[in-house]
Amino acid sequence: MTSTAQELHPAPTLEPGRTILELKGLEKRYPGTHALKPVDLAFKSGEIHAIVGENGAGKSTLIKLLTGVMPRTSGDVIWEGKSEALATPHEAMALGINAVHQEVVLCRHLTVAANMFLGEENSRYGILQQRAMVKDAQKIIDDLGFDLPAHVVLGDLTIGQQQLIAAARATVRGTKFLIFDEPTAYLTRKEADQLFKLIRRLKGEGVTIIYISHRMEEVFELADRVSVLRDGTLVGTRNIAETNDAELVKMMINRSIEQVYHKEHFTPGAMIVEARNLSGKGFENVSMSVRAGEIVGLYGLIGAGRSEFVTTLYGRHRKSAGQILWEGKPVQVNSEHDAIRLGMALAPESRRDQGLCLNLPVGLNLNLPIYKRISSNMLISGAKEKAEADRQIAGLRIKTPTRSALASSLSGGNQQKIVIGKWLAHGAKLFIFDEPTVGVDVGTKAEIYRLFGALLSKGAGIILISSYLPEVYELADTLHVFRRGKLVATHGFRTANHEDILTQALAEKQEKLGGQK
Amino acid sequence: MSTEAIAAEKPKRNYNALFGLTLLALLILLWVILSVATQSFASGNNISNLLRQGSMIAILAVGQTFVIITGGIDLSVGAVVGFATVIAAMLINAGVPVFLAILITLLVGVAIGLFHGFGIVKMGLPPFIITLATLTSLRGIGLLMTNGNSISINNDAFQEFSRNSFVGVPNLFWMVILVGIPAYIFLHHSRWGRYLYSVGSNAEASRLSGVNVQRTIYMAYTLSGLCAAFVGVLLASRIGIGNPTQAEGWELQAIASSVIGGTSLFGAVGSVHGPLLGAFILATINNGANLLNVNAFWQRIITGVLIIVIVYFDGLRRRGK
Ligand SMILES: Nc1ncnc2c1ncn2[C@@H]1O[C@H](COP(=O)(O)OP(=O)(O)OP(=O)(O)O)[C@@H](O)[C@H]1O
Ligand SMILES: [Mg+2]
Repeated sequence: MTSTAQELHPAPTLEPGRTILELKGLEKRYPGTHALKPVDLAFKSGEIHAIVGENGAGKSTLIKLLTGVMPRTSGDVIWEGKSEALATPHEAMALGINAVHQEVVLCRHLTVAANMFLGEENSRYGILQQRAMVKDAQKIIDDLGFDLPAHVVLGDLTIGQQQLIAAARATVRGTKFLIFDEPTAYLTRKEADQLFKLIRRLKGEGVTIIYISHRMEEVFELADRVSVLRDGTLVGTRNIAETNDAELVKMMINRSIEQVYHKEHFTPGAMIVEARNLSGKGFENVSMSVRAGEIVGLYGLIGAGRSEFVTTLYGRHRKSAGQILWEGKPVQVNSEHDAIRLGMALAPESRRDQGLCLNLPVGLNLNLPIYKRISSNMLISGAKEKAEADRQIAGLRIKTPTRSALASSLSGGNQQKIVIGKWLAHGAKLFIFDEPTVGVDVGTKAEIYRLFGALLSKGAGIILISSYLPEVYELADTLHVFRRGKLVATHGFRTANHEDILTQALAEKQEKLGGQK
Repeated sequence: MSTEAIAAEKPKRNYNALFGLTLLALLILLWVILSVATQSFASGNNISNLLRQGSMIAILAVGQTFVIITGGIDLSVGAVVGFATVIAAMLINAGVPVFLAILITLLVGVAIGLFHGFGIVKMGLPPFIITLATLTSLRGIGLLMTNGNSISINNDAFQEFSRNSFVGVPNLFWMVILVGIPAYIFLHHSRWGRYLYSVGSNAEASRLSGVNVQRTIYMAYTLSGLCAAFVGVLLASRIGIGNPTQAEGWELQAIASSVIGGTSLFGAVGSVHGPLLGAFILATINNGANLLNVNAFWQRIITGVLIIVIVYFDGLRRRGK
């Protein structure tokens, strides 16, 4: 089957404002979890409908039921007046229901173009028309205003760029109903803007959109209506004009939060780590330091070299030049082992690839860095192992039936809490958090920031990488801006304004994203 | 957020123990059926024989399981068994004290395991390839050393061992217990065991969490080599000869036992008791088929079908259907 850019968005058959999709008593039980208690909800044709709720509230579950990824336990889904089984993803797609899932589910070893047309390849007499596909894909991508090449292998792009491709892919098939599950979690502001433009355009073409996010400002920026889920129950639906931030948060967590960005100031103490003219793959000539009691923020576009810099500091990659000083003394950090022995801890960027053992229990994941401590001689103390895991589960409110549930059965945000939680008991001096709050809900974010304060008060230092400017802006004592592998600017706590920082991060001229090849 | 979600609904995961019990039930069921269906099955002689047959594969399967949990595979174990019989036979015939001969043979197994680790970690070879290479070359080296002849071992005490029993149980089966208990403690109660799982699940995440991934891989293959060399010693004792072509295809039986015992070839899933039970289930089927005069060709087919059935049901239950 051939797809061309012209036949991408067939005009929807319904006039705007009519109910296109209705959920009646939709319910989902997993073994051990009642993820979605019967939910009734109607979506109007052509609206942008936001869904918000805490981690584990059931948002992704709802999406999985609508797209046929998971079978529902009970209830009805009425599509354009007809009850539909939605037993397979194929069935949902045939109706015009598509989704961009929370975790990118594309083939990383295939090219962007191959991914775009996966399952609907352009072939003639059984031979793939590769060149035509790349051309078509490039046309669609350009058409959407994304600045990405179609011929490169998907795995070579950043997670954010992959997410944009996933979005582009979802628009290819005759889409009438499009679901975004936390699409901006890994996007920089610039990429997010591109995505918002796409979403508004689709809306203009009559596509109905569900938009899931933990960022309230996005919800207010985009949505027409917003529904709140709490513990698998629909708490309510509001017109966006008739509600506000505080009300939504109150509905989500049943209490109010005065202050998300909890910032404690400490007088910076002794130097913990210092990088002198450090260079390596993806970054060049970076000098910076972290002192006890200090949060050093690294801001920049994804791909600006921040993650490469910290993983090199952590010994995962070799440095090509420069020097690392630990507590004033030059050290060689040749492996992550050396780094951990010195007292570093790294919560990496990608929880699927680097952060978690998905098919192992939550408890094992949480204890992985500290098994040496909780075993005497060779043997693990079972009691300590349980106690440590339960302490983190309770402290971070990780929503899981037991510590022996598999990490893969947790919701995205709760998985993220494991990535952070496993280092909290470790007693490191320097904590490196790379995008620590991706997909984490407001309440827990506040909790995590409070934990930062606790770590600092014990004399630790923190390197905080975030592509979400408000986070680094409100928390970092020293804020470094990265651009294309170079440290281009440094600010103190709240000494610069958002616009300046953004300009510094974005560079003078637009660069072609991911166009390294 | 609600705390009742944290305060656990009924924990559903005692999966390992449950699966173990199911296998045990299957084994007992087979024994009951065969006792009724044949006269000779329940005889002490036959049971001893069965235990002897199953023991060697059981020990191989334990070592193999360590490797599979890390996401690898060890195809060399059958060849290592054969090679080890040669080493043991040559040393004993050369007058080396039996104790020392055994120790040296075991060290040879360790060395082969280390070599596998080296190939995987340092040379970046896939486990399948490096162990396949050892499989063929070890048989070749053994043949060169023996000139293609079998070496009969002239030491009665050494051969006595595998024929004797202790409190009514064949010595070979005691060896399973000797290996099984430390293996169980190692895998389920030591941090090294945890690391095997974590490396098999996600090597990068383990590495960033401070797990020494390379050492863990070395360890898994070394243990597998050690188990195989140990089985080689037992086989030499049982048959009384050293011959590099022995134990042909045992690697596949070990892998089959492991998989029947619930080990996932994708890594990160497995236990010690599962493969042990798996090995004895396979041994029982072979033994029973012999007694029932089932064509030996059929035994292979039955084994194949059994692997598919058990792994299929295991998969179904894992997915919680
Ligand atoms: N495959 C699964 N098996 C068992 N339980 C699951 C599975 N997937 C999700 N759950 C549970 O269902 C509940 C709802 O999960 P869901 O992924 O829908 O949350 P969410 O609202 O998307 O959260 P987040 O904001 O963290 O992404 C959680 O308690 C989660 O642990
Ligand atoms: Mg989710």
